[in-house]
Amino acid sequence: MTDDNKKRTASFLEKLRQKATTQQHYGGGVPEEEAKMDIRDCPNCGAGRAYHKGLTSCAYCGFAFMNITLTDGIHIRKENNS
Amino acid sequence: MFDFFKKKYSNPELLAELQSRQQRWFVFLDRLEARMEELTDAGIPELQQVFKEDTDPYKRSHYHMLLGLMGQFNNMRDKANEVKEENIISFIYSAEAALPPVTSPAGSEYYRYVHDFRMACLDRYHLFDDRLNEALEALRHAAGEQDLESAYQQELAAFEKIKDQFTCKQCGGNITIPKMFFIDTYIPCPFCQSQNTFSPSTAARMVLHNARELAEQRTAELRRAYESSRPQDPVLYKKYLRAMFDEWNRIVPDMAGENEKFYQRLLEEYTFNHYK
Repeated sequence: MTDDNKKRTASFLEKLRQKATTQQHYGGGVPEEEAKMDIRDCPNCGAGRAYHKGLTSCAYCGFAFMNITLTDGIHIRKENNS
Repeated sequence: MFDFFKKKYSNPELLAELQSRQQRWFVFLDRLEARMEELTDAGIPELQQVFKEDTDPYKRSHYHMLLGLMGQFNNMRDKANEVKEENIISFIYSAEAALPPVTSPAGSEYYRYVHDFRMACLDRYHLFDDRLNEALEALRHAAGEQDLESAYQQELAAFEKIKDQFTCKQCGGNITIPKMFFIDTYIPCPFCQSQNTFSPSTAARMVLHNARELAEQRTAELRRAYESSRPQDPVLYKKYLRAMFDEWNRIVPDMAGENEKFYQRLLEEYTFNHYK
């Protein structure tokens, strides 16, 4: 390998590396997050959501948490519809 | 009547052209291979470095760099194909069209020259193609394997530590996470039955992402045994595949149902147009 070729290759790789490391990732970065617990109360009446009353609407005032019908998934089952 | 006195066909220009084209083709591929070697030798340490420094859990910077390098190699293949079509294959057709019939002695002799030229050029191309594929493989495996097993064990240990540390956001009662979750999951409070949402950590989510690769690492011996069998043994393939999916399901039991469908599909694809 001649010196010229070596320099050309090194410069190409340097540019490629620069571009690869500074390029914005599709979908953005992945922030490092710890495990956490959260809850969503009814924004209409403030009641909590109870599992046995279903997940789609508030058991007290009927507020719709989601406008879809749940189907069987990994952890959610169709029985979880209110 | 038998063309005894007809002048014998001779075409020294064609012979010279065949030789010269063959030499130029060989030199061209030699140069491409030299460039390929340069890029592989210099690129592999760079790839390893980028992989090591890449903090993204999906190693996307490394992947971008790998794709950039592979693009260079694929351009070389395209260039070689282009030159082969334009200067070798087209030339062979035009040279053969101008030759006397293959059934005549002279025609037969010159067809043999052209045939030898074709075989020499194509053999050289196949050698180039093999080397290019080897170089691509070397780039793909340059970074080596991630140690997914210890990352997984760390996550298991981390889960054991945190599983009793959560409280219900509604009533403050203690909630124990019953098993390791890899995606957001509803957990009912045992006291007030409120629906809490448990969000696993980024590292726990990565277990789901890396589960298949980890299962592949655990069953690498079986895969190698199948890959090195000649002819490739379908029984060994099934053994490897079953073991890999069993490991996969052990890592993420919630996905066992989905994985089983995938397993059946892979088996069908393997046996499609083959034998069962």
